[in-house]
Amino acid sequence: MASFRSVIVNSYKILRQNNGVIGSFLKLFRHDDLKWGTCIGEDKFGNKYYQNNYYFYGKNRWVSFPPSVGFDFDASQVPPEWHRWLQYITDEPPSTHPLPKRNWMADHTENLTGSSKEYVPYSTTRPKIEAWVPPKK
Amino acid sequence: MLRLWPLRQVAKVQNVLGGLTQIATKSSQPVPAPELVEVFIDDKQIFVEPGTTVLQACAVAGVEIPRFCYHDRLSIAGNCRMCLVEVERSAKPVASCAMPVIKGMKVKTDSPMTRKAREGVMEFLLVNHPLDCPICDQGGECDLQDQSMAFGSDRSRFTDNAFTGKRAVEDKNIGPLIKTIMTRCIHCTRCIRFASEIAGVDDLGTSGRGTEMQVGTYVEKMFKSELSGNVIDLCPVGALTSKPYAFTARPWEIRKIESIDVMDAVGSNIVVSMRTNEVMRILPRLNEEINEEWISDKTRFAYDGLKRQRLTTPFIRVNDELVPTDWETAFVKIAEKVKSTEHASIAGVAGKFADAEAMVCLKDMINRLGGEILCTEESFPMTTSGQVFGLILIDFRSNYILNSKIAGIEQSDLILLIGTNPRLEAPLVNARIRKTWVHNEVCVALLGAPVDLSYDYQYLGDSYTVLKDLTTGKHPLCQALSKAKKPLIILGTDCLQRDDSHIILNAVRELSENVKKTCSNKDWKIFNVLQQSASQVGALDLGYQPGVQAVKTVKPQVLFMLGADAASFKRQDLCYNATIIYIGHHGDYGAQMADIVLPAAAYTEKDAIYVNTEGRVQIGRQAVSPPGVARHDWKIIRALSEILGVTLPYDKIGDVRSRLAEISPSFNYPGQVSDSGFETQAYKLQSELKPKVAEPCPNPIVPNKLKLRDFFMTDPISRASLTMAKCIQACDESEKNPYSKREAV
Repeated sequence: MASFRSVIVNSYKILRQNNGVIGSFLKLFRHDDLKWGTCIGEDKFGNKYYQNNYYFYGKNRWVSFPPSVGFDFDASQVPPEWHRWLQYITDEPPSTHPLPKRNWMADHTENLTGSSKEYVPYSTTRPKIEAWVPPKK
Repeated sequence: MLRLWPLRQVAKVQNVLGGLTQIATKSSQPVPAPELVEVFIDDKQIFVEPGTTVLQACAVAGVEIPRFCYHDRLSIAGNCRMCLVEVERSAKPVASCAMPVIKGMKVKTDSPMTRKAREGVMEFLLVNHPLDCPICDQGGECDLQDQSMAFGSDRSRFTDNAFTGKRAVEDKNIGPLIKTIMTRCIHCTRCIRFASEIAGVDDLGTSGRGTEMQVGTYVEKMFKSELSGNVIDLCPVGALTSKPYAFTARPWEIRKIESIDVMDAVGSNIVVSMRTNEVMRILPRLNEEINEEWISDKTRFAYDGLKRQRLTTPFIRVNDELVPTDWETAFVKIAEKVKSTEHASIAGVAGKFADAEAMVCLKDMINRLGGEILCTEESFPMTTSGQVFGLILIDFRSNYILNSKIAGIEQSDLILLIGTNPRLEAPLVNARIRKTWVHNEVCVALLGAPVDLSYDYQYLGDSYTVLKDLTTGKHPLCQALSKAKKPLIILGTDCLQRDDSHIILNAVRELSENVKKTCSNKDWKIFNVLQQSASQVGALDLGYQPGVQAVKTVKPQVLFMLGADAASFKRQDLCYNATIIYIGHHGDYGAQMADIVLPAAAYTEKDAIYVNTEGRVQIGRQAVSPPGVARHDWKIIRALSEILGVTLPYDKIGDVRSRLAEISPSFNYPGQVSDSGFETQAYKLQSELKPKVAEPCPNPIVPNKLKLRDFFMTDPISRASLTMAKCIQACDESEKNPYSKREAV
């Protein structure tokens, strides 16, 4: 059980890292979570990755999405190289151990389902009704 | 029955020689009612007529005996042995389908002996029947499958075929409609009996005996009949299945909707099988008064035409080309045209698939706009003189319907067919005539083309002078006509599509009235018209004019075409700046000609009323929804009327139907047919008002459809059907086949 002293110390660190009372409130409001930790790195989308082994394994690595995406964030915005660190596939973050970049690798895109750019597969079944096409003159 | 092979030849001679005297020699004494025979079925006492078979007696007692070869409408073969039952004081079980009842007979339908017999028969049948039910199209509706579940054993003692294999039989190619898997055949011979007794085509038969027995056509040829599809329903196993339906659906996954056929004017009752908003197949539905349990091949197989060439969106003509548009644009365009034309110059033409609801809506809308010209595509003499003066013939219903009804044919003893080929115009009417010819020894005479009707007839030639001779009493047939108790005169409509049609109708009407004078049975209706299009009788009942003559004379500026696809007129026949609005379901002649096309529903896609050639009102039911943005015909017209400012007071289909009943009370009684009245009065007026001078009629009185080839493609649905195209191809190929029977003409 966390002692009374460590609760106070952690609360202080959280408040300090999240820019005071108002900043912490906004962080909690947006991420439903309030932690402090060391920033391990940042990817090209502006996502920041944190680690703090004070928290239990499974909660000790997290991502903080940039303010530009607002409330429109989801797990698919994490690129694959960070995904492997975040999900404990590896302990070496891509910031210190960059992965080889092959020329067949595509750029990461987030899941666009629900937006206008979503992927729609074309139908492979024959239409049940063949419509009449007026003869061209 | 005497007229079936092999006694046909005897009967043929008899028909020619004794045909005329036959009627006179028939006994007029009423047959005394026979005494009933007392039999006991499972100790239940019942009384049946003598001559009833044990199987029929069991049916009366409410016990169904399993059977494969026995069928109500076919002769008894007695070769499947499935109907064996135990009869008390009989050493062996008896085949109940072939055994007539004896007084005091005690039948046990569920005794150990009966059960053992059934199990044994089933074991023998399964010795050579392949166990391919999972890939068999009959699976789920197979008599053998059901009966082996109910009466069969769980194993076979015949283990030999584990080493030798089951009997294998080569599949036969008998045309594009019927798929044969002859290994599955259990030799019930139902198909053979159907072909020779009902269809009148002796194409099928057996060769070999015992295990080597095979059912087939002996040499490879097409099973050339307009009723061939019915053998698919008759086959108790999966030996004969539908080729277009092969591997498409299973009986337990389809929904069945009871509907009415519109391919001809018979109005056969059908069951439309539907799955996932798609018509999978069409089967017959029992109606003793119309189609019994058969349907024609066009009815059964033309359904794939409902999936091709369909109108799924409205079109308007821009720069002489039809471009897709939406309903609103099309309606606004129609409203602009109608507003800018003189309202008397608006006309309507109904095609052969138009339903009564749509026709009454169109008529009411055009009448409200001020237009008076509403006609059908198919012609029929309007007046006794062929001109505008004279008696309006279609005011009397008895002038244009099959007065004596289809079932009435069976009572007849002499049938005179004029200018018709019922085999191709109404196959089920022809099947009825053949049934009467086989069982009741009716005499048939034909004035028209010497076509193959599947029964023998006396050919009278095709000229009008023969008809004239008949009316004046000079023809030798007149004697037989006057002696006949219930003579029938059936007039086809193909010969009524010309300008001199009124002469033919006048003569036939006069002839039937002459026959009526001598006929002893005063209630018997002699004059009959065999219509060809499903909409015609309904349209005439609702006050449409037959034929497009009025349209050609008046040259309207706005013309509504309700599924008019027979190419009965061209754009040149109308006003030079005429606007043609086509409401229909197929892209055919009508849509190609039109300026504005509105997509409507086909007969499987709407609840609609059709009136058949007997004047029987029948309601077809909706099986699937109309494709794309197509809508029900009457709703389109109702919506259009609102835009044109003459809102029709019908919001529900019930309202339209009460309007129909207002115009003709027969619409109140769907499924029934009321007797047409005022026949004598109609004729009296007709004889007074017809031209006194005899007009010449040089053209021969012949029907248009002469060979089976002409049967398949007659309307927009069958023209769009691939199956029907294959049938025509197969007919052409069978012409080249030296083993195929030559068709007359």
